[in-house]
Amino acid sequence: MLAVKIAWRNICKHRGKSLVIGVILFFGAVLMTVGNGIIAGMNRGLSENIVKLFTGDLVVISKQQEKDSVLLDVMGGKPLKVIKDYPQVKKYLGEQELIKEFLPVTAGLAFVLNGETESGNKMLLGVDIKRYLRFFPDSITIEEGRLLQPGERGILVSAQARRQDYKFRGYWLLPEGEELDQKKLPLPAKEQSAELLIKRELVLMGADAADSAVDIRVPIKGIIEYRALKKVWGLYNIIDIESYRETYSYVTGADSLVEISREGKDLLANEQLDQYFAGGNMFAEPGLIEEGFTLEDIQQETKKEITGYDLDAGAYNLVLLKLKDGGAAQVTLQKLNDFFRENRLEVRAVSWKDAIGTLGSMTALVKTALNVFIIFIFFVAIIVIMNTLSMTALERVSELAMMRAIGARKGFLRRMFILETAILSFLFGGLGIIIGIAVIYLLRLANITTTNEILQMVYGGEKLSPFYSWADFRFGVLQLGVVTLLAVLYPLRVVGKIIPLDAMSRE
Amino acid sequence: MNVIEVKGVKKDYPLGKTTVQALKGIDLVVETGAFLSIVGPSGSGKTTLLNIIGCIDTPTAGTVKIQDEEITALPEQTITDLRLHKIGFIFQNFNLIPVLNVRENVEFPLLLMKNQPRALIDSRVKELVRGVGLIDQIEQRPAELSGGQRQRVAIARALVTNPEIILADEPTANLDSETSESILQLMRQLNQSEKTTFIFSTHDPEVLKHANSIIQLRDGLLVGAGVV
Repeated sequence: MLAVKIAWRNICKHRGKSLVIGVILFFGAVLMTVGNGIIAGMNRGLSENIVKLFTGDLVVISKQQEKDSVLLDVMGGKPLKVIKDYPQVKKYLGEQELIKEFLPVTAGLAFVLNGETESGNKMLLGVDIKRYLRFFPDSITIEEGRLLQPGERGILVSAQARRQDYKFRGYWLLPEGEELDQKKLPLPAKEQSAELLIKRELVLMGADAADSAVDIRVPIKGIIEYRALKKVWGLYNIIDIESYRETYSYVTGADSLVEISREGKDLLANEQLDQYFAGGNMFAEPGLIEEGFTLEDIQQETKKEITGYDLDAGAYNLVLLKLKDGGAAQVTLQKLNDFFRENRLEVRAVSWKDAIGTLGSMTALVKTALNVFIIFIFFVAIIVIMNTLSMTALERVSELAMMRAIGARKGFLRRMFILETAILSFLFGGLGIIIGIAVIYLLRLANITTTNEILQMVYGGEKLSPFYSWADFRFGVLQLGVVTLLAVLYPLRVVGKIIPLDAMSRE
Repeated sequence: MNVIEVKGVKKDYPLGKTTVQALKGIDLVVETGAFLSIVGPSGSGKTTLLNIIGCIDTPTAGTVKIQDEEITALPEQTITDLRLHKIGFIFQNFNLIPVLNVRENVEFPLLLMKNQPRALIDSRVKELVRGVGLIDQIEQRPAELSGGQRQRVAIARALVTNPEIILADEPTANLDSETSESILQLMRQLNQSEKTTFIFSTHDPEVLKHANSIIQLRDGLLVGAGVV
């Protein structure tokens, strides 16, 4: 009580110095709170907009995959490797307590071969739509047309991809059976809507380095909009898994219906398969091509009934995993990789951050930059407070030495100094935290949005949504406590060196 | 009965490459209830001797006993507690705590003692503040008091714990002659009423007439002692 009384009165007496320390603590606390709020909002936003809408917590990829960045860095890169041993992987993932659910998909770049117009490309996410919607129930909304039906062939083109196609290739994609909606057209297209080239299907060919891809015609069933990070996820168009597999010449689920003889399996296992087709055109002999066979006939002939077989029998190149609430991603990641290694499975698990590549690194970078900024603020605060307190200690040597001389222990003086700083921290830092929380809520109310991709990383989405929880509050108080303690350490050393003799006049 | 016994006390201070011998071997015995004045010119070792007796400095050689307890080898915390319970200090420049008022300054050592009943603290403080003539200024802070009044507060603070010994280093050096006279009379009066041993250093001949025993130092040596 005595120490508190003296500490408080000293704060009041030395108002100038107290104010200097207080103002630094105040602004430090405001910046720290807002910074922590932005980081927390970014974490929450990223978690909601990336993990919960697109990647899941972990991604299983082929062990042969050179880089972990499989989702957003594939443009122009090599196609993703197919996961071997998927049945074993599936079995193991299904047995894991920490894993809530998993979604096998295919992802990659395909060329768009639309005849009369310039060719383009599209990022495709091949999914079983039923499982996809169960795994990511809120990820997409339909802007035009409808969703794919389970087992149905078709593609859901992102609104962004449609705009890009119009901008660079001059055609407007429209879902099957949909009338042109003028309101959805970009301004230049509205002016020329009468001559607007409409396309209701895409001819896609997988960008496969092995030249084994084929082109397939896929009807557009709907135009989708991703719920968040539209510019980032808008790169991806959702296609039914079997069409994707066909365009990459992957093994499809339907292929499981085909019984292959032992000799056939041996033949397919031969890595030099292309040599059997070398040296000529297999359709060169005129008599081999049946006259009067139209494209529609071929399509009808080759149309497959997509029921009665297991889609999982076909190829996948990614498995997205969602962990149960509280599931430790790092621990699960380690556990999965240990299992895969021990069982010689040709896969590895990576974090969602690694899976999204540059984007993930950028989020880590933004987060680090914010943290470094906060640490810098604290560092400056610590130095200034330390300096001011040390000066105060030196100015009060005689008074403090007298206290020691008449029986005060070192601990009493230290307590007095810690209390002075703690009171300032509590008052000014506390006020700073309260103001910081108010700023956070004002920022939320301000509805600040951005289309800039880098800023979206800072915001954790399109909208700046800083967030402050009790955990953040406790962390903030802890940070303030640490700053106070670090700032007072050197002054305490100065105080500890004051000896009773300093109170006496010396000869 | 002897309250202080000093034997062969020496004190050296390093000063650059040389050593200054502040005390060159002092032997001294002080009886309980003494009102002892240490006199001598500046640099004679008066303050050094007071510091060593008051346990705020340690001798280079020799021993100091307070109530038969050898104090030179005691650990720091024990010495701090010894100062709190057995020794009171009056400083030349008063050394009051500026943010505390008269009452709070006087009660400060009692609060350091802990477990002292509040009622006892209040009555003891009032008794002493009244004794030093400052009851009307009890709520005032040091900045609102004159030099003489501040020294009276310092005296009350030194006495509040009922110490065996009160050490005063040039207690009147910063006071005018009239105030000095009243301070010394007060100290003498308290010495008689409280039976507390007072040891004070001075080089003011006027002060000496209040002492009942005097020792004289010169160049770190005790060169004279006498009873008035």
